[in-house]
Amino acid sequence: MSRPEALAAYEALPLPDTSEEHWRFTDLAGFDPDTRTYPGGQTPAMSEGAMVDLDVAGFATVTAEGITIERAPEGITFAPLPEDHERLYSLVGWDEKFAAHNAAMWTNGLLVVVPKGVVLEKPLYVRISATGRTFWRLVVVAEEGARASLVEEYASPAPDTAGYSNAVTELFVEPNAKLEYVSLQNLSTETWHFASHHARVERDAELDWVAGGFGSKRGKTRIQNDLNGRGATSRVTGAYFADGEQHLDYDTFQEHIAPDCTSDFAFKGALRDHATAVWRGMIRVEKDAQKTNAYQECRNLMLSPTTHAVPIPGLEILANDVRCTHGATVGRVDREQLFYLMARGLPRYEAERLIVRGFFQEVLDRIELEPVRDAVTAALEARIPQA
Amino acid sequence: MCGAKAPVFLAKGTYLVALLKLESLHVALEDGTEIVKGVDLEVGLDEVHAIMGPNGSGKSTLSYAIMGHPAYAITEGRIVFDGEDVTEMGADERAQRGLFLAFQYPHAIPGVTVTNFLRSAINAVRKARSGKDDPMPIPEFRKELLGQMDRLKVSRELASRYLNDGFSGGEKKRVEILQMAMLKPRIAVLDETDSGLDIDALRVVASGVNELVGPEMGALVITHYQRILDYITPDHVHVFVGGRIVESGGPELAKKLEAGGYAPYEEVLA
Ligand SMILES: Nc1ncnc2c1ncn2[C@@H]1O[C@H](COP(=O)(O)OP(=O)(O)O)[C@@H](O)[C@H]1O
Ligand SMILES: [Mg+2]
Repeated sequence: MSRPEALAAYEALPLPDTSEEHWRFTDLAGFDPDTRTYPGGQTPAMSEGAMVDLDVAGFATVTAEGITIERAPEGITFAPLPEDHERLYSLVGWDEKFAAHNAAMWTNGLLVVVPKGVVLEKPLYVRISATGRTFWRLVVVAEEGARASLVEEYASPAPDTAGYSNAVTELFVEPNAKLEYVSLQNLSTETWHFASHHARVERDAELDWVAGGFGSKRGKTRIQNDLNGRGATSRVTGAYFADGEQHLDYDTFQEHIAPDCTSDFAFKGALRDHATAVWRGMIRVEKDAQKTNAYQECRNLMLSPTTHAVPIPGLEILANDVRCTHGATVGRVDREQLFYLMARGLPRYEAERLIVRGFFQEVLDRIELEPVRDAVTAALEARIPQA
Repeated sequence: MCGAKAPVFLAKGTYLVALLKLESLHVALEDGTEIVKGVDLEVGLDEVHAIMGPNGSGKSTLSYAIMGHPAYAITEGRIVFDGEDVTEMGADERAQRGLFLAFQYPHAIPGVTVTNFLRSAINAVRKARSGKDDPMPIPEFRKELLGQMDRLKVSRELASRYLNDGFSGGEKKRVEILQMAMLKPRIAVLDETDSGLDIDALRVVASGVNELVGPEMGALVITHYQRILDYITPDHVHVFVGGRIVESGGPELAKKLEAGGYAPYEEVLA
């Protein structure tokens, strides 16, 4: 049994501080993962207020008290995650403080297995309500040739709910399978959120991932894709918006193990007030991963002069026949663009809205599921300042 | 029309009050350099004024100042529009009152389609005018947009493209005129709308302007070359050199400039 081992690892690992390279811009001062003083126990009406308006095949809700499978489609597994599932911990173990905490503590998990060749037309939806301390774990296996979409939404029952959310996702995309994974984080700005999302993509399989970051106080979201079989493709599209005192941290890792694989990560984020964001990208191409095609970009738009964004791209290439490109920018709303729009009668805030919408359009266009695209668009729009 | 105030129609160019008045206007750059050094000008409805001047004389600076660009400070004088002092107003408020500037160098707005932009602009103006949300019904908007695009020979495909993003020089200028046609301003300032247009495009753009000039609109056509004035006949021509209007006259002044150029004026100033 691995729980005691994970707990021991968690206890042995120090809380990361800014002296560690990966935590240099994310200061956890004031956070105690062991505190139990968060007000908990509310049971919000979970079916209400879902971000994405979808006709779903399966729907599950998660609270601190447990997981409820509200609807499960036939022919696939959509059920509470058994503690001894064979795939558990194979991608995210307990070598890192927060992953270890999750491994030691998780109680509410979801297992999704889409069997070989099964094509699920409608998406699956799981909504996580974070109250108190929430340790959430998800395992998805898209078996050979299967196709499925899963939307995962993190929410808080109220905008001022304080909490600690710790999430781990392990995604297995088997040969020729296609998985769409949408992870929308809309937690309260009083929630510390730590997530490790790790996928392994096998031969000729395809992973299409959307990461939306709108809420939370501070924390870190780690995203890792292993391109593990020849011809695998992964595409991650990220959109984030932070304001007030929020701090977002994305740590992404494109791990090319097999040859002839493609990975394409594109993030765009806007920041307002005193919000800050750090985005770290790493493309690693192992020595056998010839003909790799990898791309990463992170573009930021500062809507207030008091925001701060740090995009840090990185490449580590051990093969010799690869194509890797990256881009990272931090910009402001262009004064000439603003004047141009205002000269047509648009008030300043509306001109700014259009420019911000325009800025995100490129990443929104990458989102294939229309209701998800609409939901992300709406979430962004809701954050753009009004008059 | 019961109860509506009837406009006072007199002979062409003789409205009682000019709609746009520049009074002793001085404009400086952010570093304090004065570029426009005292301009007096009155433009009324149904009038076309041409301002002709060499490169660097301050024509765009004057246009920006009229429209309210924050980087161009009005250091002296004032701008009056329809009897109201608009000198301190933002560009949005000026546009809502019926001022329009066709930019010499229109900006690209990636991610915002021509359609979406125009609908937002029209609705913003309608809202400002009526004091409440009053969006133009979409079918009406579409019909109007497609009609104007066809008239101005703007490819319909541009409607769903991002505003000025990757447009050719000619496309940008036509889309400026398209915006004018859609927004229906009362005074339009056209800053070198002719530059970079071939003759066919110039004809289309000029006829677009000519159709709008009338009891509902007056125009201030700013240009370096006389060429556009073969297609848009001005009522008044002003020679603009060194930040000042140095001579005003009728259409014949444009011909004189074509023959003699700006050199004689510049020598006088030097
Ligand atoms: N934003 C600006 N920053 C610096 N110099 C400027 C700016 N705008 C105009 N100028 C200067 O002001 C002068 C007049 O420019 P402009 O108004 O563009 O002239 P025109 O349109 O007649 O060619 C030029 O010397 C130009 O370099
Ligand atoms: Mg100019």
